[in-house]
Amino acid sequence: MAHLSLFRLFALAVRQLLRDARAGELRVLFFGLLIAVAASTAIGYFGARLNGAMLLRATEFLGADLVLQGSSPASDEQIERGTRLGLAHATVVEFSSVIATDNGIQLSSVKAANAAYPLRGELRSAPEPFGKETAGGGPAPGEAWVEPRLLAALDLKIGDSIDVGMKTLRLSRVLTYEPDRAGNFYSLTPRVMINLADLDATGVVQPGSRVTYRELWRGDALVLADYRQFLDGNLAPNQRIRDARDGNQQIGGALGKAERYLNMASLVAVLLAGVAVALSASRFAVRRFDASALLRCLGLSRRQALTLFCLQLAILGSLAALAGALLGWLAQLGLFALLDGLLPADIPEGGVVPALAGIATGLVALAGFALPPLAALGRVPPLRVLRRDLLPVPPSSWLVYGAAILALGLIMWRLSLDLLLTFALLGGGLIAALLLGGLLLLGLRSLRRLLAGAPLAWRLGLGQLLRHPLAAAGQSLAFSLILLAMGLITLLRVELLDTWHNQLPADAPNYFALNILEDDKAAFSKELAGFSSHAAPLYPVVPGRLTQINGEAVQQIVSKDSAGDRAVQRDLSLTWAAELPDDNTLSAGQWWQGQPQADVVPGVSVEAKLAESLKLKLGDRLTFVIGGETREAVVSSLREVNWDTFRPNFYMIFQPGTLQGLPATWLTSFYLAPGNDQQIVALSRAFPAATILPVDALLEQLRSILAQVTLAVQYVLLFVLAAGLAVLFAGLQATLDERIRQGALLRALGPGGRCWSRRGASSSACSAPPAACSPPSVAR
Amino acid sequence: MGPSILIARNLSKVVPSAEGNLTILQELSLELTQGDSLAIVGASGSGKSTLLGLLAGLDQPSAGSVTLAGHDLGPLDEDQRARVRAEHVGFVFQSFQLLDSLNALENVMLPLELDGRRDAREHARTLLERVGLGKRLSHSPRQLSGGEQQRVAIARAFAAEPDVLFADEPTGNLDSHTGERISDLLFELNKERGTTLVLVTHDERLARRCHRQIRLEAGHMVSPMEP
Repeated sequence: MAHLSLFRLFALAVRQLLRDARAGELRVLFFGLLIAVAASTAIGYFGARLNGAMLLRATEFLGADLVLQGSSPASDEQIERGTRLGLAHATVVEFSSVIATDNGIQLSSVKAANAAYPLRGELRSAPEPFGKETAGGGPAPGEAWVEPRLLAALDLKIGDSIDVGMKTLRLSRVLTYEPDRAGNFYSLTPRVMINLADLDATGVVQPGSRVTYRELWRGDALVLADYRQFLDGNLAPNQRIRDARDGNQQIGGALGKAERYLNMASLVAVLLAGVAVALSASRFAVRRFDASALLRCLGLSRRQALTLFCLQLAILGSLAALAGALLGWLAQLGLFALLDGLLPADIPEGGVVPALAGIATGLVALAGFALPPLAALGRVPPLRVLRRDLLPVPPSSWLVYGAAILALGLIMWRLSLDLLLTFALLGGGLIAALLLGGLLLLGLRSLRRLLAGAPLAWRLGLGQLLRHPLAAAGQSLAFSLILLAMGLITLLRVELLDTWHNQLPADAPNYFALNILEDDKAAFSKELAGFSSHAAPLYPVVPGRLTQINGEAVQQIVSKDSAGDRAVQRDLSLTWAAELPDDNTLSAGQWWQGQPQADVVPGVSVEAKLAESLKLKLGDRLTFVIGGETREAVVSSLREVNWDTFRPNFYMIFQPGTLQGLPATWLTSFYLAPGNDQQIVALSRAFPAATILPVDALLEQLRSILAQVTLAVQYVLLFVLAAGLAVLFAGLQATLDERIRQGALLRALGPGGRCWSRRGASSSACSAPPAACSPPSVAR
Repeated sequence: MGPSILIARNLSKVVPSAEGNLTILQELSLELTQGDSLAIVGASGSGKSTLLGLLAGLDQPSAGSVTLAGHDLGPLDEDQRARVRAEHVGFVFQSFQLLDSLNALENVMLPLELDGRRDAREHARTLLERVGLGKRLSHSPRQLSGGEQQRVAIARAFAAEPDVLFADEPTGNLDSHTGERISDLLFELNKERGTTLVLVTHDERLARRCHRQIRLEAGHMVSPMEP
């Protein structure tokens, strides 16, 4: 028997497994694992593909998957590399220019793009202001598309001509939507869009001109990652890279929340599945004690017996994992088919990673939850063939719980990729389990005393439980934690949906009004109050640049390409306010009372994440250059800002009385019900200097994304439920033998039907299947 | 008289209990030769099954020694004893100990498969035909009567052609008529194959069919082996 090779053991394991499968004993384990892997895979695919779809939407805000942006043209090497990698490419050049007509002049933001632009999303235009929109296309050479407010400002109509620099262009259409405009509308002048072929002829772009060159790229994620890596090493100081992740904060917020929720839900599904696997593996082991003893008696060594059973479980696990991955893949296909029409048609494929991850998760769960109970099979004494009361020494509780916790930790880490969060969850879970377990133990011991005088049905039903309060407490605890996890997931879903609903109520601001002149402020406010009851307060905006922190130049403090770096590379929109804005909460320091005294450096309140990136703390002295003047302020508070709302929000808010006197324009946002475009036209005409920016399209995109995420959240619960059912099924199966035996005995002894049903009810209500995550408790 | 196949010298088994050490077997010696048959009789709790377990190397004595087919079991660890069992020992149990998930043929094939025998299926089929179950090969244990199950168990026990067959109350779960037929089969095969038979039984008639008997009372041999 010593020469029994692994191959022969494997062959034997396969034969045994086929025979056992016929007998039906392994079905619970197989289906438990199948559901675990299927749920995990389906959620993985669903999350990955939905994330991909959402990222795709987010890339629309960039007009591309990746943008290389700089104040000088990209190098030939940078362009060649991207082209050689097979990425789609478009070039955009943006600059400010005064548009001259016979009616006057208007500073405008000119965008010259080639025919490939945009690579993600589409331009939308109309034949006349507020006319019927169509998507696609772009201005042909010799043409310009302009925003309606330029027409209003210069009293132009479609068909007229404008001069951009030295080039005369015919206005052919009204530009209504640019996919990549949404994230950057705070410092807008009216848009004029021209063909890149006309750029040279304008003569506007000269050495030293303030121009932004943007190279847009689209392609396969892996190739893009490759290209990004190349760019990271070949980036000029005046260049930076942008992708969907840093495209838009509203989208980022929604994505982040959805991703966290989906991961949390799949974690709960896997946890449930782990318990189902532990239960069925425990039953698998218990039902093979006799077989193990017999095989040992027939001459199999301890290691061979254990290997044989482990191989059976591994084969079964692999088959279940493969079938589960396939089922999960099919389930997500079905799910996306169900959502057809609601989701974009070009949802990216998920690849094989979610399937592999699902399989790995299932196998880790199998190893963590099933191996410890299985280990007992190697310790079954061969003498059991003569004395059936002999049981293997149960594995150490440390091993059982340690393996389960290790498996759980690994899975948590994979899903969250956050070691700190994993430790926090595990630690918190352990403390909760210990506290709850202690309480349960006390409760069960008290119940045991109380039960001494209880009717027979109750004693029969609960007797088994109460004879081993420690094991019973463990089982009850496992099931309590499962219910807790499922409850938590359901509660989180409600919370998440509420948050999103509140974030984007039906009357969320759909217009921004910028560049309102000081002199127009009162009149604009009055006019606005006439047709919108949902307007945010008017905030002053003073463009200024942060130059020093505590006397040291900011460039030396911030790290390259951080949020702080981006903030100091450009003018910030500075404001002042007497009261803390509604969507802001103080995270440190105090909000000021009134204006600063003459001899005191005024305070500034900084958005907390920016402060973190700039390494700012309370009391730091900041130097700003505003309109050629230098101003100082001391960080007096830090604010958490809810960027998800469509209201004006600011990185820097100054104490009142510190920026007055500097040239400021005013900013607000408001809601106007659809169909009132004429009021916007009237507003534009009454305040030609002001920029009225519709954000309906952005809102609509965001709403559509949130609708997708909401659907995902609803369906994810189905998978969690399926995993919960697996546990229930496994649990019922695990107690089946004991119930049948007790039931037969009771029927033989002949208690009445009422006693029988009461016993079942009391037992089912109070007991959990034996050996949930515990050593095979048959040892008792 | 052939060579000794099973020798026990001064076997004792003591187990700890709540009331102190409990002696289950005390200083018991016996010796069996090839083809011999021995019946171990005694009341419940007299130590019969313990003795069987010690002789078959399933358990270890507190004192004394067992030599099985020339192997002194004392210094051997569990896995080494398992190897000795695989090569020299067969078992028949009161509760048959068939694997429910396997049919009759597969149960008999099991020790042959473990031994890597390529002709496992054919050999098992022949044995089952020999015990009168040629038409029940594909029946699962649940579909067989108690007597049929024990016949499968006997076929399995003889499958690996053991030198010594240990039988623990082989007719204990059977009615007297079936028990009689099973014991006939056991002794027939024993005779055919020259196997040494050690059986534990309450059944005096069965015991009398053995060449020798020993009676145990509270761990002591009260009726010595007859030559």
